[in-house]
This record gives sequence, structure tokens and C-alpha cells, in this order.
Amino acid sequence: MAESVPAQPALYSGSENPPSLNGGRCHRCGYVFFPPQQYGCESCGAPPEELEAVTLPGRGKLHSFATVHLHQGKGIEAPFTVGVILLDDGPAIRSILTNRTGQGLKAGVRMSATIVSQGSDEQGREVMELRFEKAAR
Amino acid sequence: MSKTLIDLRPVYVVGIGLHRYQRLSETTYVDLGLTAVRAALADAKIQWSEVEAAYTGTAFIGMAASRPMLRHLGATGIPMAQVENASASGSTAFRQACLEVASGISDVALAVGVDKPGPIAGAPGKTNIRDLVGARVLPFTHFALLANDYMNRNHVTAEQIALVAVKNNRNGARNPYAQRQKQVTLEEVMAGPAISGALTRLQCCPVGEGAAAVIVASEDAIARLEIDRNRAVRAVASVTRTERVYREAKNFDAELTGETVAQAYREASMTARDLDVLELHDAFTIEELLYLEAMGLCAPGEGARMIESGAADIGGQCAVSASGGLLAMGHPIGPTGVGQIAELTRQLRGEAGDRQQPNARVGLAHMVGVGAVCVVHILRKD
Ligand SMILES: [Zn+2]
Repeated sequence: MAESVPAQPALYSGSENPPSLNGGRCHRCGYVFFPPQQYGCESCGAPPEELEAVTLPGRGKLHSFATVHLHQGKGIEAPFTVGVILLDDGPAIRSILTNRTGQGLKAGVRMSATIVSQGSDEQGREVMELRFEKAAR
Repeated sequence: MSKTLIDLRPVYVVGIGLHRYQRLSETTYVDLGLTAVRAALADAKIQWSEVEAAYTGTAFIGMAASRPMLRHLGATGIPMAQVENASASGSTAFRQACLEVASGISDVALAVGVDKPGPIAGAPGKTNIRDLVGARVLPFTHFALLANDYMNRNHVTAEQIALVAVKNNRNGARNPYAQRQKQVTLEEVMAGPAISGALTRLQCCPVGEGAAAVIVASEDAIARLEIDRNRAVRAVASVTRTERVYREAKNFDAELTGETVAQAYREASMTARDLDVLELHDAFTIEELLYLEAMGLCAPGEGARMIESGAADIGGQCAVSASGGLLAMGHPIGPTGVGQIAELTRQLRGEAGDRQQPNARVGLAHMVGVGAVCVVHILRKD
């Protein structure tokens, strides 16, 4: 069996179901954000010491989506669909959806994160990426 | 005590000039820029030696673009600087020229925008903060997501959004400086190719090369240089803001525009009802609807219906993107914001020919840049 690696280990962890996202929270003002960063709070300006890593469960609802026919990213062929997901824990994030064409999706539906294989890298390892899909319930 | 433009001494646009916006060619940026600046000098009927400061809006050309271009007008030793603010580079160059004159530091200043498409590494990508989607989401996908949300919330169809491209291409077809000078039907816009979500190719602006130049002057200079007072257009507000943190899935582009335009209205003691002509950041069709609403030209959710009603046409309540806008005139980046000022000036002078908005007296120019900035100017013909 081929070894598998997460494409962006800094952004998510695949050990739960659904997988969780690595976000951040400001001690001073409570602002919750994604993606994580350690430069300072963009809401209140608190310094890095005031920022803590938090786990954001990969659950939320679909805010909007668009099927992409043109892009400059790597490791994926168009068309695919990208969605804005309003996480239950606060921030709105953008993710590629498992649903390539967007058929049957509509704003407001519950979404959950999942880890899918996105082919193999140069070393023959299976690259795992985070996606969002319609929640089972 | 902080001041606004209207608190300083009056500043007027007295000369405008353009080089047509077009696809990348062999023409050098020097040729593009000089064509626009010479046209602006001729329009103002002044000599280059009268210009006391120059700001060049550019994003793609590279370091130190001003002097290699402007020295061919005669190396007079004046201060020159490059201004980069993404899509709002030219708007910011114009603002710097206005502040230069309004402050009393110079009597005559030039804002020129010039660009040629080329590879560039934007600084936001160098922060080492990675998101989940990266370059799989380009600007048109950002706006396709906003279009999807807009359609859901307001029960608007993809065709209604596409009508913005029909209107702006109709205007661009009458503009000799526009990159796209061809009228298109709704069917042609909808036919694709599909780019992202509801957005088709003709709903995305072309990014080519070109140049635009504007000369601003004080009342002293207008008198001393015998510039035609009747063709001078006053800049009454110059406002620029950057994005704040907007919670949840708020549309931050529209929020930022709303804040910036509201401040400009306050400074100029005006409202949306005063606007006769408007050049806004329509890089993608959906933007025009969002910004018309954010600027108060129509009620929230009524942008598409405002376009359909003809209120944004030349001859309507307010002519929106009479130049063709970014969608048809084009978006060469550095020149774009300066070109908007040139179009508004033409309109307010009553010199816009077959795309003239009747009795135009007040105009607003609006640009947004990634990163994210918004620059707004209000011009008035006294
Ligand atoms: Zn904070």
C-alpha cells in the first residue's frame, strides 16, 4: 500500500471524522480565524503571544459556490466546484467541494469536511486533500 | 486636526490624454505613456516645463518607470515617483497629484498611468499564510462566488447579471480608446466560454496595455498660464480606505466600497442623487450591481433591476461606465483609474460626443485593489 501524505498539514488534521481545521483565536478580543497565522490579530492588533491555535470542527453550512473552468492552481483539473462555507465556529472559509459540478447543491445546506485522495506526488505517495461535501445528516 | 480635500485650496483637472487600451504589442511603455502625456499637455494648452511634479501609476512595468519615460519631454528635474496600489494604482497616482496641488506644494502636477501585461509576484502571496484553495481560486472565481450569493439572495438570474456586459460594451463601442469596441448581444455574452460560475468571458475585463494622463492645477496656475477656466473640472473629494474585518460571510468588497463612498459623499456634501456620471470598478459584471447598491444609487438587491430599467444607461438617471468601464474600455491596471478621471472630465465638460450624458455636472470614480484598497474621487463642474 502506497504511503499517503496530507497536501497541507498546517491547515487541517485528518484524524477525526469529519476532519478538523487548524484555526486561530485571539485571547484579547476573541476573534476566531482561518487560516492560522502568527503575525498578530487583524481584528484588534494583539501581538503573536495573544494568538492561540484552536481546532475548528469541519462542519458548517454552504454560503455560495461556483464551478471553476479556469485556474492556475496545481494538482487538479477543471471543472471543479469551490464553495464558501460558514463554519459553525465562526469564520467563512473557501474549500474545493467533492461535488465537481455543483449539481444538486444549494446555499444553506449542511456541509462537512472530508479527506480525499488527489492523486500521487513525484515520490509516488498518495496526496490527501481536505474537501467539503454535503453532510450526511 | 485632520483635513479633507475640500478644506485645502481648490484643485482642478485641466488636461486629459490617453493612449488606446489594447492587447499586448511591441509598443514600449515609453511610447504609450508619452502619447497620453503629450495629449494631456495639448489639451491643457500648457508646456511640459510648467509641470512641477509627476506620479506614475504602474503595477507591471518594474522599478523606476517615471524618468526613463518622462525625460523625453525634457529633463526638467522635477520630483517623480511611481505609485503602486494594485488595480487602484492610477487612482492613487491621481490622488497624490491632487494632494500635491491642494496642499500648495505644487501649482501643476501630472498623474499618468501606464502598464503592459507581464509576470508579477504580488506581495500578499509572500506572507507565507496559505489557505485551502490557493491559485485554484483566481479573482474571477472570487466574484463568481459573490454572483452566486447575489443570485440566491435577490432572485436574480445569470442573464440579468450579464446585462451589465451588454450595456458596457455598447458604451465601449463608442469609445475610440477602448480595448473592446464591439457591441454584443446578451446571447453572445451568455454563449461563453464559461470562466467561473455564472461568469462568461465577456463578463470579465480584458487586461491589456495602454496609458492615461491627467494634469491638475491650482487656481493660481489656471490664471497665470491662461488655462481655459470653462474646461476645468474641480476635484471635490479624494478618499481612500482599506478593508477592515467584516464578520461572518459579509461581502467585504461591497462593505469597503460603501464606507469609502459614504466618506466621499460627506466630504463633498453630496448624495448618490447628485451623481450624473459614474465610472466604477466593473472588472466583473457582478461588481457593478454590488457597487451600485453599496453607493446608494439604488436600494439593496435592486442593482440588476436598475440596469434592466435603463437608469444606468447614457441618458438615464446616472450614466454608469459611459467609457465602457473596465469590461469594455479595458483594465490595463496602471492607467485604469487615471482613464476614469479622463472620461469623467470629458463628460463634465460636455465633450464626450456620442456617449455624452446630458447636462452632466457631478461624477464619481471608484476603483478597488486587491489587498484590499478602495479609492474614490468626486469631480464637479462648477
Ligand atoms: Zn484580537
